[in-house]
Amino acid sequence: MGRELQFEIFRYNPQKPEVAPRMQTYKLEETPNMTLFIALNRLREEQDPSLIFDFCCRAGICGACAMVINGRPGLACQTKTKDQSGKITLHPLPVYKLIGDLAVDTGVWFREMYAKTESWVHTSKIFDPTKEEERMDNKVAEDIYELERCIECGCCVAACGTARLRDDFLGAAALNRIARFHIDPRDERSDKQFFELVGNDAGVFGCMGLLACEDVCPKELPLQNQLGFLRRKMGITAIKEIFRK
Amino acid sequence: MSVDATMHVVRPSKRDAVLDWLQMLTGAGLILFMWCHMLLVSSVVISPKIMNAIAYFFEATYMAQVGGPLIFLTFLLHFVLAARKIPFRADGQVTIWRHARMIKHRDTWLWVIQAVTAMVILVLGSIHMWVVLTDLPITAAKSAARIQSGFWFIFYMILLPCVELHVSIGFYRIAVKWGFVKDSGRSAFKKGENTLFLTFMVIGVITLIRFMLLG
Amino acid sequence: MQTFYSDLLVIGAGLAGERVAVEAAENGFNVICLSIVPARRSHSSAAQGGMQAALGNCAMGEGDNTDVHFGDTVKGSDWGCDQEVARLFADAAPIEMRRLAHWGVPWNRVVPGQSFYFKGGQKFEKFENPENEGLITARAFGGTAKWRTCYTSDGTGHAVMCTMDNRCAELGINVMDRKEAVALIHDEETCMGAIVRCLRTGKLETYLAKATAICTGGFGRIYKATTNAVICDGGGHILALDTGMVPIGNPEAIQFHPTGIVPTDILVTEGCRGDGGTLLDVNEERFMHIYEPEKAELASRDVVSRWMTHHMREGKGVKSSYGEHLWLDIRHLGDQHISHKLREVDDICHHFLGIDPRKQLIPVRPTQHYTMAGIRTNKDGAAYGLKGLFSAGEAACWDMHGFNRLGGNSLAETVVAGGIIGDKIVEFLKGYETKFKTEIINQQYRRQEQRIKDLISGRNGNESVYDVRHEMQEALMKGCFVFRNGPDLEETVETLEKLLDRSSRVGLHSDGAGVNHELGSALKIRGQIKLAMCIATAALNRTESRGSHNREDFPERNDRDWLTRTLAYWPTEDAAKPDLMYEDSSQIFEIPPGDRGYGGGTIIPADENMVKERTITKK
Ligand SMILES: Cc1cc2nc3c(=O)[nH]c(=O)nc-3n(C[C@H](O)[C@H](O)[C@H](O)COP(=O)(O)OP(=O)(O)OC[C@H]3O[C@@H](n4cnc5c(N)ncnc54)[C@H](O)[C@@H]3O)c2cc1C
Ligand code: HEM
Ligand code: HEM
Ligand code: SF4
Ligand code: F3S
Ligand code: FES
Repeated sequence: MGRELQFEIFRYNPQKPEVAPRMQTYKLEETPNMTLFIALNRLREEQDPSLIFDFCCRAGICGACAMVINGRPGLACQTKTKDQSGKITLHPLPVYKLIGDLAVDTGVWFREMYAKTESWVHTSKIFDPTKEEERMDNKVAEDIYELERCIECGCCVAACGTARLRDDFLGAAALNRIARFHIDPRDERSDKQFFELVGNDAGVFGCMGLLACEDVCPKELPLQNQLGFLRRKMGITAIKEIFRK
Repeated sequence: MSVDATMHVVRPSKRDAVLDWLQMLTGAGLILFMWCHMLLVSSVVISPKIMNAIAYFFEATYMAQVGGPLIFLTFLLHFVLAARKIPFRADGQVTIWRHARMIKHRDTWLWVIQAVTAMVILVLGSIHMWVVLTDLPITAAKSAARIQSGFWFIFYMILLPCVELHVSIGFYRIAVKWGFVKDSGRSAFKKGENTLFLTFMVIGVITLIRFMLLG
Repeated sequence: MQTFYSDLLVIGAGLAGERVAVEAAENGFNVICLSIVPARRSHSSAAQGGMQAALGNCAMGEGDNTDVHFGDTVKGSDWGCDQEVARLFADAAPIEMRRLAHWGVPWNRVVPGQSFYFKGGQKFEKFENPENEGLITARAFGGTAKWRTCYTSDGTGHAVMCTMDNRCAELGINVMDRKEAVALIHDEETCMGAIVRCLRTGKLETYLAKATAICTGGFGRIYKATTNAVICDGGGHILALDTGMVPIGNPEAIQFHPTGIVPTDILVTEGCRGDGGTLLDVNEERFMHIYEPEKAELASRDVVSRWMTHHMREGKGVKSSYGEHLWLDIRHLGDQHISHKLREVDDICHHFLGIDPRKQLIPVRPTQHYTMAGIRTNKDGAAYGLKGLFSAGEAACWDMHGFNRLGGNSLAETVVAGGIIGDKIVEFLKGYETKFKTEIINQQYRRQEQRIKDLISGRNGNESVYDVRHEMQEALMKGCFVFRNGPDLEETVETLEKLLDRSSRVGLHSDGAGVNHELGSALKIRGQIKLAMCIATAALNRTESRGSHNREDFPERNDRDWLTRTLAYWPTEDAAKPDLMYEDSSQIFEIPPGDRGYGGGTIIPADENMVKERTITKK
């Protein structure tokens, strides 16, 4: 016999505005190696088929299942019930638009982010299918991949006080994205061009160094270092621009 | 949001960058000042004579008369700059408090502490500076007399921890925000900061007690 | 009724879908891409290993070329593939990898000089040519003659998916997430688009397009145990099958991987065994060497899966609350090896099992992994049966995989096929005009609306969708898993028949409001059972063993009678079984049917004259 787990789950379906937001309690017997993926699906299939939540890969690699677990944003699929107390409180991620219960709309937020950061390699070169690929140092490739590992779960943004205070703040994931292209030799953008994208309070200067992003990122991206690096880089770019005049 | 919205035609504003620099520099300047200030004031622990000598030096060179108001201006400027980040409206206040309570995250709480202590410092610090600077010259005896009278002891016992907290958190924040301290060095740096905070608190309290006992 | 219009509607925004979309958008066509989840969460991003392409840059890939890659692919398919398609693929793959590099994929690169690698637990030395420094490098994968798998660390699918989605953002392609297609709009001749359920509001929407491409990935989720994401549930295949016009190609061709973990069925890499890990049974004793004295744990995927299943049937499985399993033991590999070479496995064990693989055993069992089966298309990616309908990626049976796909070939297929088929769609769209028949559109919309109403009101009954689905999954596990045989398959077909009947009586137990998940499942359940039925009947019919299709009662590969591809049609909505048709696997042979060189087994040869007639020599 496993423990009896008690779940406190936030419930609200925007398509049914007449029912006010509330917390609902469920009970479930714990089984070995139980994750929140298993637990929530069992709740939905056995107790309450109206529960809304998102899972996709259930392997901690797609970012779909981020939610606030006992106060902390994290990935539900890689959270073992064993590591939690007998009472587990679940809320949807703040900042993002609520879809229903524990599901939020990260998709639209991130697509806007791609547009705001112009999240692609800017190059004037044209691909020539007959030519050998351009060479790159393996170390550079590994460094780029290190920043490309972001799964866009949204935890860093949901955990950031700045993002909660001002809705135009880009957040750590976006600034990390800028850093990813900044170190990519294929991207021809200058510091000045990057500055145009993030050199303001909605971008890197809005960050107050709260570092919750760094501490909650389930993929352990080096966000603190990237934010620091960008602030210096953008700060110096601004000063250079001022003196160039 | 559409792609066109990001195609800037206007020159990008450097305003936010400049203000961020200034916020950091005024903060750093104030930290340096507070450390010097600590040297001056706590020198009384060793001997009131040393404190008097230092004070006299500042006065004779007019550094107190000019520097004092300058510090006051920096103080105000720093306040104005940093206040951009503090939510003054009720809903913002609610959001940040609720957020901090929700995620129970140390560095987020530190920021809240910084903002709260900032308010205390703004009021008490202004009063303090006004009182000291309108009653030059500074001598150990005058200071002792002041601290022994009325509620000044309590006044400093509130201001002191607020300042030390604000300063040490501010120091830590500058280091991580600007990337002077990397993720690998963060926890060690934070420990160092805590030690620094405790040291200054102890010196500060000893100084205040010394003033109380100064006959 | 909200209606969206575009030149091309791509259903699915995984690698295949987005690659098709990019090709069309680059040529000036207006494209809408739909996905259940934000594009980057598509299951393509789960692939860690890499993509095969014969670049031949690394030392162990020296001498590789597209011919060798082609040969590996054909042998891998157990001669079930269309060789014309396999050729198209092998030739285009290297160019596609370079294109991806140009768009921003951080491929790992050749580092010159001496280095080491492991094989069968032993250490070997290799020397990378300084001339190739900085070119795209490759790693080893099963069933290949050369090191050919291009990769970015342990996240190839993720990195390529990011780049592809960035490219879509750059081109301004309208990629809409939380949109699930529930039915195609067609007049039995031409496809006009799809009816889509919005997963933000739960409302139905109409998408009209001159061309529609289904790129919805695999459908592993109709099995109980699968390494696939929960959205890989066959939605796209159901769209096609439901038309009655479009067949599923080779439904019986399903791949199983030996080491999915229990519970959650997440994949742990083959590298564990490659590096010397062993499989243990309930008594913590090895068993693979009993069945395969020579290769033991290192036999091919299908072989190991087969013996594991057999061993559990013998009562040697470990019982758990999640069903029976066996153990994978990598404890003896040591901390150094696990921390460095098997970091990913270490992480999975930590996050999902809460165990330390240095000290504890990993619970594993064979798990559904890939569907070679798919929407049958010709080599241009045009679906059989409906004009204006295309398919690419794992969803399609373009058929370069036949009865077994090689590791690293499917991820490569998504982009290579996406490029080729995207190009063909562009050709199709140029100068093409069509008529949207409002009558048909409205009819289909109302039909879907009615289905939803009926499910919510429980008009047809109140069978629980979750119960029915559960039983379908169990039925497939029983009859259509690693081993198949006549009696079990017959039983499965029977069970599925009953379930198909029950599925018409499914009704919701919740109110179905908004993005209700129960409703989403209920809309799909009947189609899923139809798919399951296609697998079971096709497997029952195919009285031979080929690639991943293993008939215990027909162990030999029968080229004489079964050098064919199954085409499963669902003739009418109330039919109980699919119509099975057959076509030749390949019109031409660059490599005539023969021995794969691994896996053993006997072959009943094909008609010599037929083979001779079709054999061509490459110019
Ligand atoms: C764990 C794992 C590891 C793998 N590793 C490798 C590897 O190393 N090398 C390799 O070559 N292959 C590997 N594969 C296989 C390979 O990853 C897949 O075959 C390939 O990524 C499929 O890509 P796709 O674009 O066809 O589909 P997917 O990437 O699955 O995309 C499907 C898309 O369709 C959408 N969709 C689905 N249904 C609907 C609907 N009804 N309406 C609207 N949209 C819908 C989804 O939202 C998604 O966007 C692996 C597979 C798994 C499961
Ligand atoms: C002796 C007095 C003071 C000192 C030494 C001091 C020092 C600092 C320092 C070093 C920082 C970090 C700067 C940065 O992050 O860029 C800081 C931040 C801050 N200060 Fe002060 N400060 C003082 C007074 C005040 C006052 C009076 C206020 C205002 C009411 C104030 C409000 C703030 C706030 C809100 C921040 C955080 C800003 C942010 O995170 O972006 N400070 N202070
Ligand atoms: C130019 C400006 C300043 C001058 C000349 C000055 C001078 C002094 C003097 C003389 C004392 C001894 C006590 C007394 O006489 O009342 C003192 C104590 C103190 N001052 Fe200031 N001060 C200045 C600015 C500030 C500022 C900006 C702060 C912080 C906001 C501050 C915080 C304190 C504290 C906390 C004490 C108690 C010290 C202790 O216990 O160590 N002062 N200051
Ligand atoms: S940076 Fe980390 S926390 Fe933020 S979205 Fe990416 S993976 Fe999630
Ligand atoms: S939490 Fe937010 S304030 Fe900056 S350091 Fe991270 S983005
Ligand atoms: S479901 Fe993909 S990260 Fe949790």
